[in-house]
Amino acid sequence: MAGDRKDNTVSDFKFGLTHAPLTPFVHDRIDHDTYRKVIDFHLRNRAEGLALPMHAGESVSLTAEERKALAEFAIKQVAGRVPVIINVSEAGTAIASSLAAHARKAGATALICSVPYYWTPPQSMLVEHFATIGQAGGLPFFVLNSPSEFSEVEFASKSVVELLGKLPHFAGLVDMSLDWQYMIEVVTVARAVRPDFQLVSGNEYMISAGAIGATGMLSSLASVSPKLVRELYDLCRAQDYKAARAPQEDAAILFRLFRDAGPAGLKAAAKTMGRDCGAPRQPLQTLPDGAARALAAKISNVGSVKGEPRGWA
Amino acid sequence: MTLVLKGVMQSPVTPLKNDFSPDYETFERLVDFHVRTGATAISWPHHKAESHNLTIAERKALGEVAIKAVNKRVPVSIHVSALALEDTFDLARHAQKKGADAIIAITPYFWKYPPEAIYDYFVKLGTSFDLPLIAYNSPSYLDGIEFTGELTARLIQRLPNFIGMKEASFNSEKFFEILRAAQRLRSTFAMIVGVEYLLPSVSLGGAGSYSSAGAICPNLCIELYESCIAGDWDRARAAQYKLSELWLLFRDQYPSSLKGGCVIMGRPVGPTRPPLPTASPERVKFIEKRLIELGIVDSEPHGW
Repeated sequence: MAGDRKDNTVSDFKFGLTHAPLTPFVHDRIDHDTYRKVIDFHLRNRAEGLALPMHAGESVSLTAEERKALAEFAIKQVAGRVPVIINVSEAGTAIASSLAAHARKAGATALICSVPYYWTPPQSMLVEHFATIGQAGGLPFFVLNSPSEFSEVEFASKSVVELLGKLPHFAGLVDMSLDWQYMIEVVTVARAVRPDFQLVSGNEYMISAGAIGATGMLSSLASVSPKLVRELYDLCRAQDYKAARAPQEDAAILFRLFRDAGPAGLKAAAKTMGRDCGAPRQPLQTLPDGAARALAAKISNVGSVKGEPRGWA
Repeated sequence: MTLVLKGVMQSPVTPLKNDFSPDYETFERLVDFHVRTGATAISWPHHKAESHNLTIAERKALGEVAIKAVNKRVPVSIHVSALALEDTFDLARHAQKKGADAIIAITPYFWKYPPEAIYDYFVKLGTSFDLPLIAYNSPSYLDGIEFTGELTARLIQRLPNFIGMKEASFNSEKFFEILRAAQRLRSTFAMIVGVEYLLPSVSLGGAGSYSSAGAICPNLCIELYESCIAGDWDRARAAQYKLSELWLLFRDQYPSSLKGGCVIMGRPVGPTRPPLPTASPERVKFIEKRLIELGIVDSEPHGW
């Protein structure tokens, strides 16, 4: 069972503060020159890992071939400076499995995977889906739990335990539900089976998640506010929640702005900060000028944004 | 209006006799037990007290018992929500007359209405009485009817006696949004988490909890709160994980299972009124097994 593989055992990899970069396009093709700059920007701004392509990186609008090419490009560009976590979420198990096998070959460090798109499968199917993909990948495997994005389908805590029994590489859960009952239940049951099971906050509400026992954070706000995100994360890891309150307030305001505006909003904001990543891919639309200006005004009201890097520095 | 709400506040269950009539004597004892074991406030009747299954006359009579039994040792708030808003105002009038320290009210039941209707209702409730007002937010039970930060802020600006909220979304974003909006305008505004999710709420700036398991394990509840306040997060996590397991145990057939647990702790409070089931002997056995496994039976007071 667990520990029967020597390479990439579960305990080797710690999620830490991982950034979810944007995917830049030019003429609707992936813009590799800019992507290089995006990656270096995140590393200069102290990402401990990169997860790609997440929803912020428009994963669902990329073909499987593009996702594979993107993974290879990013892994080469990162060149071992930090771990690269490849998102293999898909509607079909076989397609996701092929992405997972490819990611391993390309040199990824870990995998992240949501419940399947569109379908609303029962828990037993979710366990099978993840077990198959995880085995195909053979890398530390993280389940992304985000019920609000998946018709309220949640990866139940009892399924977490079942998957632990089937998949030795199942390393942790990235939670976007923000649900205290759920997070506590998951860490309680999962750590009873595997004490180093990782809970990762899938968004920037790190105080509660950290208090509950999250040891990592996945951030898409890092494209706009990498310093804020780093400060919040460090204070929460030090369990200084009183001091974390101020950065948490700014992060909450930004989180809510970008939840409404999506990747198009992140791209608009990145552009106003001197990091033009082009237009989002259809069906997403570039924010109209008026909306982009209104968003920029709201962002500039957030105190910490003044101290954030402009351009690719 | 200097009512400070913080720490582990208890909302007692309603003891019933075998014929389902209110057991006033045991209620008095239970309220006294809570105060003696560290409750910083008493609030009654929350839903776990079967508020919906009591008549208005019973709620008034039991409310008086609670106020008398506490005898000013800690503040008492009366939950006034009823299906008909006429009854709510009647209960609030009665609470004020009998010396309650505050009233607490949830968003009106059953109907689907816009935020403006919540605003109007709480303005009417808050301006009709001199008592401090606590609002109660429970989006999952009321099918998405809920307070937002914006609505809370408007009510704070309108109502000087709006002092706090019982918040039961158990969601970081929702909880923090209300807290942020409220405390910018009223720094003393108390965000009180429904049931014992103190670890994720106190770390965010929450004031305390309305306890679920207080009749079973008051020591553990207070240990959790105090370790959060002291910043002893390892200890807090251990206590929170245990209390969460208890919540999962009691949430099933709430509050029947909670009343079943009281039997094990030597503080029987009788059956639960239909349509809620009364914990069967098998269920009580199962609860006993869990309470022993979790170390509750050995570490918490037995009897009154």
